[in-house]
Amino acid sequence: MTPERFTRRDVAPAAWRGEVAAALADGWRFAGLWAEAAGGDGPALRAAFHRHGERLLLAAPAARDTIVDLVPAAGWDEREAHDLHGAAFAGHEPLRALVDHDAPTPQWTVPVEGRDVFQVAVGPTHAGVIESGHFRFHVVGERVLHLDLRLFYKHRGLERAAEGRPVTDALRHAERACGADAVANAIAFAHAVEDARGLVPTPDLARARTLLAELERLYNHLNDLSAICAGVGFAPGTMAFAGLKERAMRLNATLTGHRFLHGSVRVGGSGLAISAPAASELRSALAELRAETRRAWRELQFAGSVQDRFDGVGVLALEDARRLGAVGPAARAAGLAIDARTDAPRLAYRELVPAVPEQPGGAVAAPVEVRGAGLPVGVDLLDELLAAPLEPSVAEPGGASRRDGLALVESPRGQTLCAVALGDGGVVDRLHLRTGSYANWPVLAHVVPGNLLPDFPLINKSFELCYACADR
Amino acid sequence: MSATTVAAGALQVAGALVAPLAAGTVQTLKARLQGRPGPSPLQPYRELRRLWRKSGVRPVPSTLVYRLAPALVVAAVAVGLLIVPVAGRAPDWGVGHDALVLVGVLALGRFAIALAAWDTASGFALMGAARDLTFAVFAEAVLVLALLVAALPAGSTDLTAMSAAAAGTAVWDDPAHWCAAIAFALVAIAEAGRQPVDNPDTHLELTMVHEGPLLEYAGRELACLQWAAAARLWLLLVLAAELFGPKGGGFWAQAAILAGTVAVLCAGVALTETALAKMRVLRVPLFLGGGAALCLAGMGSWLAGAA
Repeated sequence: MTPERFTRRDVAPAAWRGEVAAALADGWRFAGLWAEAAGGDGPALRAAFHRHGERLLLAAPAARDTIVDLVPAAGWDEREAHDLHGAAFAGHEPLRALVDHDAPTPQWTVPVEGRDVFQVAVGPTHAGVIESGHFRFHVVGERVLHLDLRLFYKHRGLERAAEGRPVTDALRHAERACGADAVANAIAFAHAVEDARGLVPTPDLARARTLLAELERLYNHLNDLSAICAGVGFAPGTMAFAGLKERAMRLNATLTGHRFLHGSVRVGGSGLAISAPAASELRSALAELRAETRRAWRELQFAGSVQDRFDGVGVLALEDARRLGAVGPAARAAGLAIDARTDAPRLAYRELVPAVPEQPGGAVAAPVEVRGAGLPVGVDLLDELLAAPLEPSVAEPGGASRRDGLALVESPRGQTLCAVALGDGGVVDRLHLRTGSYANWPVLAHVVPGNLLPDFPLINKSFELCYACADR
Repeated sequence: MSATTVAAGALQVAGALVAPLAAGTVQTLKARLQGRPGPSPLQPYRELRRLWRKSGVRPVPSTLVYRLAPALVVAAVAVGLLIVPVAGRAPDWGVGHDALVLVGVLALGRFAIALAAWDTASGFALMGAARDLTFAVFAEAVLVLALLVAALPAGSTDLTAMSAAAAGTAVWDDPAHWCAAIAFALVAIAEAGRQPVDNPDTHLELTMVHEGPLLEYAGRELACLQWAAAARLWLLLVLAAELFGPKGGGFWAQAAILAGTVAVLCAGVALTETALAKMRVLRVPLFLGGGAALCLAGMGSWLAGAA
């Protein structure tokens, strides 16, 4: 393969906004913004963009102006850079606290006033097995007027902890950002490091990683469908998909020794070996799973009381999806045909076409359809990948090495960006992980207003975002 | 007082003990239908025993209103159990057997719990209570209507008379009785807080109706409220069986038929809860409006038949 074209453009702080605007006008899509500790006063600023497999890294020695009016998707990125690195952004008003939990409530919520408006605060401790997140709804009656999110209860400072570590250690930090997207996070990190070192994967390595990524997507999407059924109290669906998810996870355990596939991705190679008999056994298990998934999916399609709940709820408009930088199933449900897998020369996807529902409405029905329709496609892909036995493999040199590496990987929740800066002796100077969940949380907060409060669990589950990998 | 009346009174009181078993049976059947082994039908008794042994905690600030609510709810449902006859008979407990009194007693329980929710000032409790009261506007009206239509053959709202008049097959010749039966089934689901109106098994605070006001309660107070919820379901099941179920034979035969009918109704509840997702909250009034329309149609048909 030929590695992605990488351009690093160093810009003066005063030219930052102009460069970003020019990049956007050139068709570059925003992928993430972060701060990096610099020797001088204040942190340096980085922003990543992508365009048809090309990568652009804008680097400024210091932060000065906001770009949030040009790229609304950068809102959380700037707030995080401010809270964690002290970067200031002129024009980002008010710059609400995001990671900083010491800020008093009025400093991170949007004031909502009027007759009969009241707040409903949910979390961070929930009644079910749900991660820590605080939701503050401003409602009139059952109607939500505004939603303020407060995440980062699981902020472990993983990025900072990875600094100064050898890449093999830093890989663990990136991977364990979350349990359910561990493979996507780990592949993104591995790709970023290999990108910086000028390594390219062999076809076998690409196949091994694609296999792991799709196994992860399979069990995640089965879990999502189960959760969506739970959100409307449809127990037969919940149980059917939970059972299928369990089977998918047992396949993971047979193949890699870990139900969540943890520890299965390495930097610069892969230890995954599948013999011909093991591959054929796995293929028949997958075929069985595919047939039963199809059956459960059909039953869900014909459950009128469930479908009734899906329509017209949690609608994400196409324009909003584009403007706010939605990714993954949520974006595709809105009709935005984006999928990092279509643009992944380091993985074995070949000619994957992003699945967009026939009637992209962005309502809860659409993300459900994106997942349901994606399941057989994913299993077919796995079947194809298992057509030949797999040997352990190593990445080979294919380009010049440099300090910065960028990678984009489609996790089950959307496009995940991993950026690394490698220092002397192969240690990690800076690691930044911007997961699909991170990109989509603000989109969720935008979608909820106007809906009924009791429909929130359903809308939330149609996004099914991860807290831990946004918090890091 | 005849021996059968005493026996009927004993059965009414026994309802208080058997009620959790009915709720547990629905839970077990639901689990089986979903492909899970599920808990034993006796699980609600274990829950009650566990809660009864626990010390209680109360939110601060809360007042007498919050403390009295569980007792009031229990008292209301207990009186309700005494109002509903068993196998067409019931001793005179001094509260009569009027269907409208029963509606009032159920409303009293609802009112007490809504006041308690207000007293805690907890967002979830208040939200649940507000939804419950909103539904009640429709549910209580439809319940009264359904009972009135069911009372047409007897010409009285006395439940013993209604039960007696509903015996035999002749009463089903009039469409009014069918309308009353279906409308009662719809409104009973809402009254008992079962799916598709409410989901008694949910942990999602934002979607709760009947469970919301219970969130703050603990220990014995919670045990009382859980028992009351089970007894409310039991009461509605017995009432449905009395007014619309099959009858025949002597007292003991009829009591046996009643038990069978309640068991069948439990299975019916489990089936609908499995087959149907919970409906959108704002659709519940529409759902109950269907019941009201049926009642009005039933009344119209009765008047047309009488004219």
